[in-house]
Amino acid sequence: MRFRNFNFNFIGKRKIWFIISLAVIIIGIAGFFLRGGFNLGIDFLGGSLIEVEFEKEVNVSEVREVMDELGYSSAILQMVKTDLVQTESNRFIIRIKAKELGEPISTEEKDQVLDLLDERIGVVGELLQDRTVDPGFSRVLIKNALLAIGISIAGILIYVWIRFEFRFGAAAILALVHDVSVTLGIYAILSREINTSTIAAILTIIGYSLNDTIVVFDRVRENTPLTGRLGYSRVVNDSVNITLSRSINTSITTLFPVVLLLILGTSALKDFALALTIGIISGTYSSIFFASPILVAWNNRFPKYKK
Amino acid sequence: MRNKKVHITIIVIFIIIVGVSLYYILTEPINLGLDLKGGTQIILKPTQSGGEEEIPESKLEETIKKIMDRIDSLGVSEPLVTKDYYNNIVIQLPGVEDQDTAKEVIGKTAELEFRLVMGTFISLTEQKWDLVEIDYIKEQLPIDPDSDQVLLVDDINSMTSGEAFSIIGELITEPDTQEMLLVEYEEEGSREEDGQDNNTEENQEADTTVEPDKVIGKIIYNQETRELQLVDYQTGDVAGEVLVDSRTGAATMVEQVLLTGDDLARAVAGYDKYGSIRVALSFKDEGVEKFAEVTSENIGRNLAIVLDEEIESSPYIKVPIDDGEAEITGIDSIEEAKNIEIVLQTGALPITLQLEESSTVGPTLGRDSLNKGLYAGIAGLILIIAFMISYYRGLGFISTISLMIYIVLFWGIISGIGAALTLPGIAGIILTIGMAVDANVIIFERIKEEIIKEKSPRVAVGDGFRNAMRTIIDSNVTTLITAAALYRFGTGPIRGFAVTLSLGVVISMLISLLFTRSLLFLMAGVPRIATPGFMGFRIRRSE
Repeated sequence: MRFRNFNFNFIGKRKIWFIISLAVIIIGIAGFFLRGGFNLGIDFLGGSLIEVEFEKEVNVSEVREVMDELGYSSAILQMVKTDLVQTESNRFIIRIKAKELGEPISTEEKDQVLDLLDERIGVVGELLQDRTVDPGFSRVLIKNALLAIGISIAGILIYVWIRFEFRFGAAAILALVHDVSVTLGIYAILSREINTSTIAAILTIIGYSLNDTIVVFDRVRENTPLTGRLGYSRVVNDSVNITLSRSINTSITTLFPVVLLLILGTSALKDFALALTIGIISGTYSSIFFASPILVAWNNRFPKYKK
Repeated sequence: MRNKKVHITIIVIFIIIVGVSLYYILTEPINLGLDLKGGTQIILKPTQSGGEEEIPESKLEETIKKIMDRIDSLGVSEPLVTKDYYNNIVIQLPGVEDQDTAKEVIGKTAELEFRLVMGTFISLTEQKWDLVEIDYIKEQLPIDPDSDQVLLVDDINSMTSGEAFSIIGELITEPDTQEMLLVEYEEEGSREEDGQDNNTEENQEADTTVEPDKVIGKIIYNQETRELQLVDYQTGDVAGEVLVDSRTGAATMVEQVLLTGDDLARAVAGYDKYGSIRVALSFKDEGVEKFAEVTSENIGRNLAIVLDEEIESSPYIKVPIDDGEAEITGIDSIEEAKNIEIVLQTGALPITLQLEESSTVGPTLGRDSLNKGLYAGIAGLILIIAFMISYYRGLGFISTISLMIYIVLFWGIISGIGAALTLPGIAGIILTIGMAVDANVIIFERIKEEIIKEKSPRVAVGDGFRNAMRTIIDSNVTTLITAAALYRFGTGPIRGFAVTLSLGVVISMLISLLFTRSLLFLMAGVPRIATPGFMGFRIRRSE
C-alpha cells in the first residue's frame, strides 16, 4: 500500500547507471579534445561582436567573402534564423575574437568591416548589437566565475553537512559535478559558444541539481530509522521511488517554460535555455540514478547502517 | 477555532499585499534593462600610473561626478553611472546607439597641458628623411641602440611643406652605457651631406667621439609613468618629454608643463573667421597672466597644446597674447570639436580609465528579446497550469492561485523597488516559476501520501505540510547559497540574474509556507471540498 505508485529497483542496478553516467561524461571529454577545447565566446577571450541587419537575405558564404577580403578569416559568422531550415538570412552575428589579434578590433577597423558589408550587401541603419570586451577584463570574468562556483559548492557542502551528514553533502556535490560535466560535455560536442549567459545557467544548474538531490535525500534521512528492519539499500530505493512522481513532475513543470524559451527565444535567451534544459534533465537523472546509489555504495564501503 | 482565525488573517494579509503589488504594477512602469530597451553600456577600469596602489575613494567619486557632467552635456536621458564591486565604473546610457562618441567623450582623461616645443625627431633611414614611427621610438629609444641617425629639428607640426627644418640636435647611443644621448648639433645646414654619409661604421665612429660638453641630456623610458623623458645629463632632473603622435607617428620633444586645464575658464567649439573648425579657449585671471608671460618670453617658438599626451596643435608665437585667448585648430569635424569642448569644460579626470567592455544593443533586438521572453513565459505558464490541474485536480487550482500570486508579487516588487528587468532576469523569472511550482508539487505529493495512509483530509493536510516544509526549506536554502555566491562574485548580467533568482526563491517560499498552507487548511475544513477527488485521486479511498 505504501509504495504502490512506483517500485523500481534503482539501487540494485546502480552499476548500469554509473556506467551510463560515466559514458556520457567520457563522450563529453572526448568531444572536448576532438573539438580542440571549448568554444569560448568574446566574454572570455576578449574581442568584438556585431549583429548586422542586411537589406536582403544572404547566405553565410557571401558574408564570409567580405570578411576574408579584410583579413578576418577567423571571424565567426552566425546566421540569425527564424526557422531551422533556412539557409539565408538578413541578420548575422559576427564575432571577431581578440585571440588572433591580441586585442579587440578598433573602431576604425569595425567601420571598415561595416562599410564593405554595406557596399557588397547593403546594411540597414544602426547595428542591432555592438560589443567589445578587453581580453584583460575577460580574464577577470573567468576568475570571478570560477570563484563563484567554488564558493557556492563550499557553502552547499557545509550546509548539507550540518543539516544531513557529510556523505550526503559529498554525494550531492558529486551529482552536481556530474550535471555540470554533462552540460559542458554537450557544449563541447556541439561546439556551442560558452559565454556569460552559459556561466549563469551553469550556476543555476548547480542550484537546481542540488534542489533536486536534497528532496530525495530528505526522504532518505526521514526513512533512515527503518534501516534496522529493511536495510539501507531498501530504504534508499524506497525513498527514491516515493519521491519519483515529485522529481518527474517538477522537472516537467520547470522544463515547460525553459524549452519554450529554447524554441522561441532570441540567441542570448537560447544560450540560457539550452544549458538549463540539459542541466534540468541531467539534474533529475543524477538525483535518482547517481546521487542516491552513491549513498548506498558509500555505506557498503564504509558501513554505518545495516546494508 | 483559533487556527482558523490565523489562517484567515494570513490570507487577508496576502490579499492586501497582492493589492499593493497590483497598485505598483499599474502605477510604476517596469524599469527595463539596456538589453531589453536598447542602449549602450560601458565598463571602465581605473588605472593608476605608478604601481598597484589603491585608488582613493574620493578620486573615484570625483571621476564619477565628472563623467555624469559629461554625459549630461551629451544630452543622454536617464543615464546611470555606478561602480561595481571591483571599483570598475559602469556607465549605462539608455537609447544611445552610437557607442563610439560615448567612448570618446566619457572615458577621456582630458589632461590639457601647454608646453613649449623643443623640436621634432626625425630619423635617417635608408638615406631618406621620414618621421620617427611610434613603434620605432618605443623599440629604439630605451632598448635597442643600433639605430639610424636620429635628429632633432624645429617643430615640424606647425610648419607648412617646403619650409626647411633647422637641425638642433642629434640622438646618439652611448656605446658603453647604451644610453640615448641628445647632443647639440654643430654644423647647421650640413644635414644632406650627413644623410648621404650615413652608414653603420661611421655611426659607431661618431658615437665614440661624443664630447661631454655638447650633451644636452639623455632620453629615458620611465616605466612608472610610461613616458619618454628627457633628463639632464648631469643632475638627472626631468627637463622635458617626448610625445609620440598616434596618428602620424611624429615624435615631438616638449619642455615642462607651463599651464594646464585647471587654468582654463571656458572652452567653446565653433568656427574661426576663416571658417575653420576650432575650439576657442579662454583662461582664468591667473591663467591670463601666466599665458601673457609665457608668450612674451618665447616669441618665435612653438607652444604645444597637449590633450592626453597628444599634441592637438602647436601654434607659432608671433606676439605676446595678453587677453588670455587661445585656440585648438586642425580638428577634423565639428563633432570632434564638440567632444573636445565637453571634456575640457568638465575638466580632467583625476584618474586614467581603461575601456574594459562596451556593449550596445539596438532597440529592435531588445524589444524582440522582451517579447519572445514574455511569449515563452506566458505559454510556459499555461502549460504548467494545465498540467497541474489535470494531474492534481482541485489542488491544481490551489497551485494556480499560488502561482498567480507569485507572479503578481514578483512583478510588484520589481516595479516597486525600481529594479531593472534584464534578459538574464527573464530567464531567472522563468526558472523561479518552475521552482515555485516545485514547492506545491512537494506539498501535494506529501498530502497524497498521508491520504493513502487513510488519514482524514484535515490531518493529511497538517501532516503533509509539516513533512514538506523541511524539504522545501532545505532545497531552497541551497539555491539561495548559489544565488549569494553569484551576486557576490558575479558581474553585470550575472548579478541581475542572482537578484531575480533569490527574490523568486524567497517569495515562492513565503507563499507556499504561508498562503498555500492557510488556504489548504481552510479548504480541508470544508468536507464538501476536501474530497479525495479534490486531492487528485481518481479512485475512491475504500478501494
